Amino acid sequence: MKNKYYILILLIFIMIFFGCDKKKVNKLNKSEYIFEAPISTEKIPDDVVWLTNDTDPIFSSPDAKKGGILRGYIINFPNTFRTVGPDSNNSFRSYILDNQLSLINLHPNTENIIPELATHWAFDKDKKTMYFKLNKSAKWSDGMPVTAHDFAYTLEFMRSKHIVAPWYNDFYTEYIDKVIVYDDYTLAVKATRAMPDLHFFVGISPTPRHYYSKLDENFVKDYNWKIVPNTGPYNITKFKKGESVVFERKKNWWGENLRYNKNRFNVDKVIFTVIKDTNMIWEYFKKGKIDVFPLYDPEYWYKKSDIPIFQDGYAVKLCFFNDTRRSPQGFYLNQDKDIFKDQNVRYAFAYGMNVKKVIEKILRNDYYRLEHAYVGYGKYSNNKIKARRYDLDKVEYYMKKSGWKRGDDGIWVKNGLRFSVEVSYSLDSHTSRLVVFKEEALKAGIELKLDKLDGAANYKKVMEKKHDVAYWGWSTNERPSYWQVYHSDNAHKSQTNNITNTDDPELDKLINKYRNSISEKERIELSLIIQEKLHEICAYVPTFMMPFGRQGYWRWWRLPEIPATKNSETSFYLDDSAFDPFGANLGGRFWFDEKLYKDIIKKMKNGIKMDPVTIIDKTYKMDNIK
Amino acid sequence: MKIKFNPLTIKKIKRFKSIKRGFFSFIIFILLIIFSCFAELFINSRALIVYYNKKIYFPTYGKMIPGRNFGLAYDFETNYRDLKNKFKEENNGNWVMLPVVPYNAYENDFKEGAYPPFPPSIKDKHYLGTDKSGRDILARLFYGFRIAIIFSFSLLLINYFIGISIGCIMGYFGGTFDIIFQRIIEIWSNIPFLYVVIIISSIIEPNIFILILIMVFFGWIGMTWVMRTMTYKEKEREYVLSAKSIGCSNVRIIFKHILPNTISIIVTYAPFSISSGIVALTSLDYLGFGLRIPTPSWGELLQQGWSNLSDYWIAGSVIIAMIFVLTLVTFIGEAVREAFDPKLHTIYE
Repeated sequence: MKNKYYILILLIFIMIFFGCDKKKVNKLNKSEYIFEAPISTEKIPDDVVWLTNDTDPIFSSPDAKKGGILRGYIINFPNTFRTVGPDSNNSFRSYILDNQLSLINLHPNTENIIPELATHWAFDKDKKTMYFKLNKSAKWSDGMPVTAHDFAYTLEFMRSKHIVAPWYNDFYTEYIDKVIVYDDYTLAVKATRAMPDLHFFVGISPTPRHYYSKLDENFVKDYNWKIVPNTGPYNITKFKKGESVVFERKKNWWGENLRYNKNRFNVDKVIFTVIKDTNMIWEYFKKGKIDVFPLYDPEYWYKKSDIPIFQDGYAVKLCFFNDTRRSPQGFYLNQDKDIFKDQNVRYAFAYGMNVKKVIEKILRNDYYRLEHAYVGYGKYSNNKIKARRYDLDKVEYYMKKSGWKRGDDGIWVKNGLRFSVEVSYSLDSHTSRLVVFKEEALKAGIELKLDKLDGAANYKKVMEKKHDVAYWGWSTNERPSYWQVYHSDNAHKSQTNNITNTDDPELDKLINKYRNSISEKERIELSLIIQEKLHEICAYVPTFMMPFGRQGYWRWWRLPEIPATKNSETSFYLDDSAFDPFGANLGGRFWFDEKLYKDIIKKMKNGIKMDPVTIIDKTYKMDNIK
Repeated sequence: MKIKFNPLTIKKIKRFKSIKRGFFSFIIFILLIIFSCFAELFINSRALIVYYNKKIYFPTYGKMIPGRNFGLAYDFETNYRDLKNKFKEENNGNWVMLPVVPYNAYENDFKEGAYPPFPPSIKDKHYLGTDKSGRDILARLFYGFRIAIIFSFSLLLINYFIGISIGCIMGYFGGTFDIIFQRIIEIWSNIPFLYVVIIISSIIEPNIFILILIMVFFGWIGMTWVMRTMTYKEKEREYVLSAKSIGCSNVRIIFKHILPNTISIIVTYAPFSISSGIVALTSLDYLGFGLRIPTPSWGELLQQGWSNLSDYWIAGSVIIAMIFVLTLVTFIGEAVREAFDPKLHTIYE
């Protein structure tokens, strides 16, 4: 009897393991179809000028050595390794995408174009087309060569309905017209219309056509946990769902000796372990089980890091100033709400936000006032604009101008309407700032009701434009993109980025002109005017910027003399930081010093202390801050 | 009018009084509640009395008095601590009387050159220190206590009202009604309560009424089972039979005859329901699904304490306060149970 059960259980197990496996293998191999783009009969015009870049400064260190393991963390295990389709827009995706190189990239400090998969490029006169010559040694991680067909396949792939990614479907239809293949290693990417900064759009990545074969409706399901061949220095070699992911450096990676890749991507392995709680991550770091921890929060930088590992010099505190595009953080006023339809009320609101006090008292004076929404865009930024400072007299002036009076509790009232607005936000760490805003606004006669929602719920609320005020921040683009955030095309409807419902005919005209212009000079001029106009409309009240990145790391890690690039920053994860392991444009600059490691471990064991090390690098400090 | 107690009730009260630990806990607890009802008089940023230019003001309750009224150059609420210092300096007979703790639960008290949280200090009158935003912890504890008590008492009343009514009816009538309701309750109690609360409060920011409503939605079940069994047992007794035979209505029998005989059970459960109400609110606040920020709350303090363990006074104060209050309630509960022990007095024999 017992034996029978055992056999049954065994059978079930066998069925579970092998049954499923077989099915998947069958599916993936079901066709031998390999995409092939038609070879163009036309020739590349003779008069195009082929460009390359082998003169920009190198940003790695010649002292770098290969080896070592970097141990990082992720808060949640990703729901999928796909980079397109449902659930793919998670924070882990950037680690995968960073290892998918593009045709070209931008130098992190000079922001000139540098070669990546292409060695040379050329612009057509039509301002729509860019030609590329591929690096013939470029290979996929499975050894297949990267050819022009792979780029043509990207278009086919990204436009497919089967990937269930409307945004990509749209982008690759609306912006990219076609990829023309001249031969295996020469191609052109053509945009749908002439546009400024063409190279931001047409420098696409290849997609391994030999790997995907023909897409079908099972794509989303089949490719959830597939490790797709890539062209970058690392790829996933091991993972345990819910626990960890291991990236390993490729032996003899094809791009290792390219000018801008030399002495970069040094560690052998990068391991990301799932740790669900920030406090726990900090504890792991203190124990040395995690190598790098973000210290951008003043509380960590000044107080929590005041512990033996830093005092005794076993770990290093690094602060690097940067000069990059600043996320427009602050209060977004919904002008579809009656109260904010009045410009005077918006001005009063802006004058009633005591940003200075929050910076001084909560943020330990080390954040800076953000002056407007587009700081850090170089010539495109209008540095003359200054944000409205806390000023109770001005609040009073503007409120009285619109006929408001102070009520019994000191809050402004007019026709039964109180100046009491909900501020929607979702991050815990913002609470301590907002309670100060609230108390200070009370003095100005403005009541802020703090509405802390879970991230997804907050996003939904704001996207449906149901908020009064959103305490919000956008990510940045290479150039200011005004249309999505301030054009009336996107006002008064849900799921668009115009969360202030700005609807101003004059502004629309300027934005249209800016969008359609392909002259850089004109665009810059327009950009400055638009920013002035936005300041005048005052639907957004800027708060802070953090013009630096800060990290703590164990001392056996080494960085080049200038520890970060102009565009490095610190986010919660490693990407774009000084310890970005993969980022093609600025990552992989650090290395593991084995000798130092042994030395420090010995000293720690014997309790020998060293001098504490705090590195403050001001190479890329912005000119207009103290 | 003098309230006449049933001799049995008097006996129970006497017995309760004789259990010293429970009785004193009860007195302390009641004092705490009374004290918290008038917390504005003890812990508040508004002054108790201001004497200014031969006029007396009582700012505690009522309208906000702008600074301009006291010769200050602003239109927002007077800062009475500053006013006191100012009057002292001027020395023209004006004076301000501040409460013992001159801070409310919301205001941020910052210092020059230092950053919150600040440790306890008698000089600054932050007797338990401040939290991460410079708010007085004692004030937040106390106002938080008041909210927690209001919350758990209202929760208790509504839960018991619904639970007892339905439970009694189920037990008394039995039959189909009983069976249907049993199944409904079984299904109901399988809804994961915490998830529902989390989902709802992530969509809307709940205020105290909504939160009570959500909690009641699941909380009434517990009492029904107990009351159903009790009523089942009681309705077979002779006194119910005799009440029936003289023509009492069902409502009268349930509420006049059966309920008083089951009261000992209800009373015994009550203190524990109070403590579970406090714990529920605290844990929801701790998880960030509770009342609207910046409502003073123990859960939020606990959360701050956990993320700033080195600032011991935050976690310390709230943990001690919780232990203290919950112990009080447990002692009361214990004493009540003992006082109402049916082995000592029964009504029907």
